Amino acid sequence: MSARKSVMRSIKNVVNGYSSTQAMVRTATSNDPSGPTTSQMADIANHTYQMSEFHEVMEMIDRRLNDKGKNWRHIAKSLTLLDYLVRYGSDDVVLWAKDNLYIIKTLREFQFSDITGHDQGAIIRVKAKELTGLLKDDERLRQERELARERAND
Amino acid sequence: MFSSTSRTEQDLQASVRKACSGEESAPKRKHVRGCIVYTWDHKASKAFWEAMKLLPIQSDEIQMFKSLIVIHKVLQEGHPSSLVGGYRNIPWIESLGRTFPGDGMKNYGRLIREYVSYIIKKLHFHHDHRGFNGTFEYEEYVSLKVVSDPNEGYEAILDLLGLQDALDDFQRLIFASIHRSKGSECVVSALVPLVAESYGIHKFLVSMLRAMHRSAESDEVLQPLRDRFYDQYRRLYEFYADCSSIRYLTTLITIPKISVNPPNLMIEDSDTNGNGNG
Repeated sequence: MSARKSVMRSIKNVVNGYSSTQAMVRTATSNDPSGPTTSQMADIANHTYQMSEFHEVMEMIDRRLNDKGKNWRHIAKSLTLLDYLVRYGSDDVVLWAKDNLYIIKTLREFQFSDITGHDQGAIIRVKAKELTGLLKDDERLRQERELARERAND
Repeated sequence: MFSSTSRTEQDLQASVRKACSGEESAPKRKHVRGCIVYTWDHKASKAFWEAMKLLPIQSDEIQMFKSLIVIHKVLQEGHPSSLVGGYRNIPWIESLGRTFPGDGMKNYGRLIREYVSYIIKKLHFHHDHRGFNGTFEYEEYVSLKVVSDPNEGYEAILDLLGLQDALDDFQRLIFASIHRSKGSECVVSALVPLVAESYGIHKFLVSMLRAMHRSAESDEVLQPLRDRFYDQYRRLYEFYADCSSIRYLTTLITIPKISVNPPNLMIEDSDTNGNGNG
């Protein structure tokens, strides 16, 4: 089933004219139960250092973050990805995230229950809370980015 | 600067309509969020207020009560211009409070009147004291400003205490109305913004009172503020305890935990970043 969906996704990528960078973000934040993997996120982080690609990445994340409740995995994974990019991506990602903090902040009360009544929103509420906390604490953010840079150079 | 979405006015109108539906349930977060995000995208609240005024809420108590919850949420989390827009629309908000005299047909009459009066108090507060955001999230500079001008500080603390009292009165009314099990989710959901707001006000009060105690020459001047604060603290503690017993509420938000004993106001503010609800 998942294979069929990933085929559908690659068709959509072509039909909607998404660039390879955007397709990458879409794969990393898809409705697949697993992921995003660290290598996927690292790949995307590398693409945030060039202006045009940076815009493509952020546009796609923005779209995913504002997705419907049914697609809660899109939102949860986008928060995971954004959290990674804020640490490992370009400075522009931090600027973008601070500028658009309200998009993240307002997800702290996200709600979605699936057909079995299971609360799938909790994971998003927690992730949104953590990311908001990080973005509001300049000192911690600076340390985290420094740490990330050291790790990347190892 | 990098914003790429383009939520249109039509999207906003749909969000407003769906958030303030006539169904006796909590306003859907998804649609409330739509309204909030719109005010940030456009850095303006005019369209939101206009969309609100277009709704036929005067004909239905439940719809009106839900609209007040939505207004409260937008004032709290929306772009700062939402507070300015709210202040300009005070006459309209006041008119909502006059629509259902007595208890109303569905027992929302008093709830609506009290909510209206609370929202108006809040709007006046923000108008008189710029620099506080809608949820009273802690900003260091406000308490610093207060210390530099003790008179202004005294005034601000007094007004914060007044707002907290009004909030307390309103939450009591809500708890008194919850007993009916059907539709209680709608009434309970009004507690969500109140919990966040009361905690924000509380954090400010502690920090400002501590700053005042450090700088004031005599403690006696501050005695009345202190007494009121301690009295309020006891009621706040009970409020959070009551909230913790409602399951629907605890899954949705984290109810702040405050200790049984009130904080010492005479000591230095150790909680430097003070960001308890971040």
